[in-house]
Amino acid sequence: MIVCVAVVGHQNNPLYLQSFTEADDALKLHHIVHCSLDVIDERVNNPKKIGSVLNETFLGLLYPTENYKVYGYLTNTKVKFILVTRDLDVRDADVRNFFRRFHTAYVDAVSNPFHEPGKKITSRIFAERVSTIVKSFGLSAAV
Amino acid sequence: MGKEVAESCVESVLMEMVSAYCNRFYANKPELAARRIEAIGYQVGHQLSERYTMERPRFSDHLEAIKFICKDFWSELFKKQIDNLKTNHRGTFVLQDNRFRWLTRMSIDPVPVIVKDSSQEAPVGATENKAEQATTMHLYFPCGLIRGALSNLGIPCAVSADMSNLPACSFVIRIKV
Repeated sequence: MIVCVAVVGHQNNPLYLQSFTEADDALKLHHIVHCSLDVIDERVNNPKKIGSVLNETFLGLLYPTENYKVYGYLTNTKVKFILVTRDLDVRDADVRNFFRRFHTAYVDAVSNPFHEPGKKITSRIFAERVSTIVKSFGLSAAV
Repeated sequence: MGKEVAESCVESVLMEMVSAYCNRFYANKPELAARRIEAIGYQVGHQLSERYTMERPRFSDHLEAIKFICKDFWSELFKKQIDNLKTNHRGTFVLQDNRFRWLTRMSIDPVPVIVKDSSQEAPVGATENKAEQATTMHLYFPCGLIRGALSNLGIPCAVSADMSNLPACSFVIRIKV
């Protein structure tokens, strides 16, 4: 189950942060997302460490904590997507699929002429799409 | 998945936009009109670059990003690639399109010789100049497109266009260091 997703701009400014837990741990998740930015920077500046394809947008598992796994994705436009999940056995393909759909939703959201680039994404439709994607991630992982 | 619009609609919108800005909103201030049109192009380029770079690995240097503009970006917009790319390897790139789609319907009198010393030639020179100015106005939008796309990819630059031999058109990109 995904507990948190985040979109972070190219200057490490938060564009969208949404947690999907009942408990009151938004601050903790925010902190995890914040920490993962350093890991992304490190990955990007030492590109040799990333698998076989150089400069792939999917950055893979950034780091595991006791309860969570954090995955990252960096677009060509230097926008970072971060996914925090509580499942400990996650298939890479599922995460890639998630990010691909998430990226599509993001692109549609920022292509809205009323969206100001570099500002937080406030679109309700985007939020709805994200929560649908998040829910379906849980399902495909269970199958 | 992609939605399509007729090419003629895009061209009409473009022409209408240019004429609205040049003849109605900023009729007396051509520089301001140019800036506004360029800004619209910038926003469109900014958004398109996000969409068109979705499924590809990140660019490692400037040249790769420029090549992306020449090939994929141009193919998406104009169904053809840039015909010629020149660079001085110091941050200036010249992209030449031998048949720039948005200029194929333009016609300018091919009388480039303007006699300056005779007074009765002056009106001819003026109309020529006016037609050229109107054509130039149509090039601010594609310049903005390129600038928006590149700056979204992390490359701040200045783009200008040159249309000395229609319908060929070249765009000069100067990357800001």
